[in-house]
Amino acid sequence: MPVAASAIYFLNLRGDVLINRLYRDDVGGNMVDAFRMHIMQTKELGTCPVRQIGGCSFFYMRISNVYIVIVVSSNANVACAFKFVVEAVALFKSYFGGAFDEDAIRNNFVLIYELLDEIMDFGYPQNLSAEILKLYITQEGVRSPFSSKPTDKPVPNATLQVTGAVGWRREGLVYKKNEVFLDIVESVNLLMSSKGSVLRCDVTGKVLMKCFLSGMPDLKLGLNDKIGLEKESQLKSRPTKSGKTIELDDVTFHQCVNLTRFNSEKTVSFVPPDGEFELMKYRITEGVNLPFKVLPTIKELGRTRMEVNVKVKSVFGAKMFALGVVIKIPVPKQTAKTSFQVTSGRAKYNAAIDCLVWKIRKFPGQTEPTLSAEVELISTIGEKKSLTRPPIQMEFQVPMFTASGLRVRFLKVWEKSGYNTVEWVRYITKAGSYEIRC
Amino acid sequence: MAPPAQSHRSASPSQPSGKSEVSDLKSQLRQLAGNRAPGVDDSKRELFKKVISYMTIGIDVSSLFGEMVMCSATSDIVLKKMCYLYVGNYAKGNPDLALLTINFLQRDCKDVDPMIRGLALRSLCSLRVANLVEYLVGPLELGLKDNNSYVRMVAVIGVLKLYHISASTCVDEDFLATLKHLMLNDPDTQVVANCLSALQEIWSSEASTSEEASREREALLSKPVVYYFLNRIKEFSEWAQCLVLELVAKYVPSDSNEIFDIMNLLEDRLQHANGAVVLASIKVFMQLTLSMTDVHQQVYERIKAPLLTLVSSGSPEQSYAVLSHLHLLVIRAPYIFSEDYKHFYCQYNEPSYVKKLKLEMLTAVANESNTYEIVTELCEYAANVDIPIARESIRAVGKIALQQYDVNAIVDRLLQFLEMEKDYVTAEALVLVKDLLRKYPQWSHDCIAVVGNISSKNVQEPKAKAALIWMLGEYSQDMHDAPYILENLIENWDEEHSAEVRLHLLTAVMKCFFKRPPETQKALGAALAAGLADFHQDVHDRALFYYRLLQYNVSVAEHVVNPPKQAVSVFADTHSNEIKDRIFDEFNSLSVVYQKPSYMFTDKEHRGPFEFSDEHVNLSPGTESADTVVPAQRVDANDKDLLLSTAEKDEGRDASSNGSAYSAPSYDIAASQTQKESSISNSNIPGNTLPSSSAIDDLLGLGFPIETATTPTPPPLNLNQKAILDPGTFQQKWRQLPISLSQECSINPEGVASLTAPNALLRHMQSHSIHCIAQGGQPPNFKLFFFAQKAEESSTFLVECIINTSSAKTQIKIKADDQSASQAFSTLFQTALSKFGFP
Repeated sequence: MPVAASAIYFLNLRGDVLINRLYRDDVGGNMVDAFRMHIMQTKELGTCPVRQIGGCSFFYMRISNVYIVIVVSSNANVACAFKFVVEAVALFKSYFGGAFDEDAIRNNFVLIYELLDEIMDFGYPQNLSAEILKLYITQEGVRSPFSSKPTDKPVPNATLQVTGAVGWRREGLVYKKNEVFLDIVESVNLLMSSKGSVLRCDVTGKVLMKCFLSGMPDLKLGLNDKIGLEKESQLKSRPTKSGKTIELDDVTFHQCVNLTRFNSEKTVSFVPPDGEFELMKYRITEGVNLPFKVLPTIKELGRTRMEVNVKVKSVFGAKMFALGVVIKIPVPKQTAKTSFQVTSGRAKYNAAIDCLVWKIRKFPGQTEPTLSAEVELISTIGEKKSLTRPPIQMEFQVPMFTASGLRVRFLKVWEKSGYNTVEWVRYITKAGSYEIRC
Repeated sequence: MAPPAQSHRSASPSQPSGKSEVSDLKSQLRQLAGNRAPGVDDSKRELFKKVISYMTIGIDVSSLFGEMVMCSATSDIVLKKMCYLYVGNYAKGNPDLALLTINFLQRDCKDVDPMIRGLALRSLCSLRVANLVEYLVGPLELGLKDNNSYVRMVAVIGVLKLYHISASTCVDEDFLATLKHLMLNDPDTQVVANCLSALQEIWSSEASTSEEASREREALLSKPVVYYFLNRIKEFSEWAQCLVLELVAKYVPSDSNEIFDIMNLLEDRLQHANGAVVLASIKVFMQLTLSMTDVHQQVYERIKAPLLTLVSSGSPEQSYAVLSHLHLLVIRAPYIFSEDYKHFYCQYNEPSYVKKLKLEMLTAVANESNTYEIVTELCEYAANVDIPIARESIRAVGKIALQQYDVNAIVDRLLQFLEMEKDYVTAEALVLVKDLLRKYPQWSHDCIAVVGNISSKNVQEPKAKAALIWMLGEYSQDMHDAPYILENLIENWDEEHSAEVRLHLLTAVMKCFFKRPPETQKALGAALAAGLADFHQDVHDRALFYYRLLQYNVSVAEHVVNPPKQAVSVFADTHSNEIKDRIFDEFNSLSVVYQKPSYMFTDKEHRGPFEFSDEHVNLSPGTESADTVVPAQRVDANDKDLLLSTAEKDEGRDASSNGSAYSAPSYDIAASQTQKESSISNSNIPGNTLPSSSAIDDLLGLGFPIETATTPTPPPLNLNQKAILDPGTFQQKWRQLPISLSQECSINPEGVASLTAPNALLRHMQSHSIHCIAQGGQPPNFKLFFFAQKAEESSTFLVECIINTSSAKTQIKIKADDQSASQAFSTLFQTALSKFGFP
């Protein structure tokens, strides 16, 4: 059985129960005490998200300042349980309107109880689709006070909606202005050796959509990915247009995408859910354009002085620019004094994380600002010299740039009423784990 | 439901203490109870919210039960829900009061609004009060027939809840047949999915006592049912898909066409956004192709990309769950992932539980072409801030070295570790250098030169110290100071807390003595004296043994302590292959994360007072721990024969040479005389006839479609007296076949009492044509593996039998080539077992 969860607990960081739901009697009521004693109050916290205590297994996750703990007594499906928690949190967020934290739970506990009853029955996951649940979970979140809802109105036949041909979309939606927003969000992961060679590099991307469309529209998305283009040229018996094609290592789709059609025709066609959703996720390892190159030189001058020089080069187009660039350069714990010179942005020493933090708010393409710093260390005679030097880490966002080179070729909307739509497409590349060893 | 856990704890100062507030609420609720004025619902809501919030923070508000029930007469659905929640929470503790709620819940079950019908039914079933069961049956029956799928969905789970309160009511009222009908016919997939969950759970727990239930459970895996689910899979919610895929993974297709059809159908599930669905599909693919080596390889190639994507997306917890599975696959087929090693590089900020798995995978995939890169990367981690990870990575380097790829470069690196002057790095590296020297003695010269420079004062960890001492003893002729370092260590004998180190010290000083007698004699004397006075039994015994050995004959002693050594070729693995296969069978569950089969952490008897330790379960001898070295020829044997054949091999040898707790059964020739009688007694076993009711069903053709798929009445079962099965085949079959029966039964206590060694039982069972193939364990727990064959054909039965002598209970698991005959065989087996102990 995928998950027969015996209980689910929401705890704050001190270990107080915010909300709990015992679905089954096969675990004792004191299970949460076991969790507190054996995990929260020991060094075990954070060493492993799955733990066995007594006869029960605990799966726990921390989300903002809340621990969500699932207790099972059988050989449950772990991946399913974690996915369930993640989905449940997303659902709560959509009800509360944004934040999920201790306060939100305290303010909405009745609603959460209701939701917990609907999304899981006797430990088996039921329906977690916010779209459908909103049809029959009547209480509203804190955003607006109770409305005196007419109670004798028959509830729409909710579950039939779930199982109909398009369970994720309600019928009869009407918008004055039909709009589609499509964002391609990529995060680049890089691990570079101290000698400047790329050890590991990949891009994980998401296609996020926001649809405000009337009726039951059919959408079709064309990307410049290799397989899709090849298939297309095959079908139209026309040679592939020159230009960059992207090879996707792996793709996963939202349940609305017709997978059979994707496998046969390689086109992404779907009837979208209403509002915001994640259409697809992909991963690319070949041909990644790194937006930044980092060239560090760190010299140790005797026991008490260090010289740090870091040059950061932006390699994307000169007309583009990156936002919120942060470069964290680790320095030894015993740093006493630092002095900087930067050609752009601002830098300071942050003792809490033992790093020089260099921030550049707006970073144009094809430039290479530098930082040179002198670091004075407290002389430590007794201690052996530290060999551990964590990597330089970087954060950034580059709008209108994709590290993979992926582009939307077309986004077609078709609906039987034949209305006009406005499509908006955006690209953004963010730093995932961007590490340069030094 | 028990009140929330903290009810007994003093509430924190910011929270209300309880008493006065509760009585306050009570009077307010009273006032509102009869009030039907408009707008009163809003004030009721506020009050109810207060009650629920007290309940949540652990204040006992059960004293309001009466008032809450009185207020529940409302049409406001929000109020109702809060009331249901309250009632569900306290009913179990107040069964008398719970009776009060039955009335309004039953009434709500007939409400016009399907939402209220469903909610009321759910709450009714969640009361969990045994003596109210009679009130559940009616509403449940109606609920299952409701024309609204929401109500049916709730009712199906309601039946499961009823089963847990009162199994007999659930079975007697024939709810299971209704569920089965709904499962195969309901248009709503969530109803279908809930039926599947409920039936699986109920039939699995009934299977041990009811033949019908176990047959029904098997029928879930029959072709029509599995195909029915597969054809509808795309309609199911993502969670229900997981459920269905789990079922399909257990299905045994009849031929390869079927396998390919299923895989083609499920191919696109690998692109599902829900990682749990992807993992479940992978399980199906893996299980289906187990017997087709080529296709199995292709499956690995196919699932690689989705798995790697899953690992790199989602929260660390999710990625850990997936990574555990990837880890399992990498360990099973490292060569397939050897080009993807860069995916297993650790990121600086990753949690250590993720890093640890990645390190193990890096170790596993190392081969000729990538060793250099991997070891270079691992050496980066050795300087990691996180000390446990640094240690792990050094160990990983050592393991790769022992896998004998490019040892040259690795040895240099290990020696560099020794010079890093960090205590933990030195300690780990010492242990590794020791193991390396045991495998590659030719490196001793380079290593000893570096090891000689390490001051024993800087080595504090017992394992590292023991390793250093071992090298001092083993290579004392090459290390100038060896006798003097040892002497120094012996002088501080009393300060040495680890018995392991003291044992090594004794042996090392002995070895040194034979190589450099004049320099060591004094130290040896001191060591033997200290050893004899040692309070630790093993240390004392070893010292005494050496002492007597030296007294008896010095050259014999030398031969014992310093024999010519063969280099170790393979170090033993921690997990036996049988365990690994079991974990693989339980893919996509906790077993993979814990890296042990589920029976080790879910079965009560494995957790309880008589727990089987890992050693008991390891069936192949000599697999105690990774550090244990087994002589080369023994290990070679282990590599090939996994589970049982060692038992046979050892037969010819001296029994005492077999270190394992498992010994070969000694077949008694006398037993064969009794075999003729056994076949006669076998033919009139009562279990051979099926319950008449289902036979009649079949005659009238009234059964559901599935029932026609169940097997016909098995013919009377005769067993072959001289059945033969070699351990390899047994093992293979044991892995492939599903468990067809799992039962608990008791045996004659008198017989058990005399069961000090299992041999008597073996002879007894053999007289019933049931042969033992392996056995082991210590009182009070014995574990035996039996097999038997049908007299007419070569269909075999395999049995795992765990006997607990203190409770006179046995647990048997039967696997059979011919599933239909397993019930008859089980009866036969139990009859034979129950006769044990009678003359």
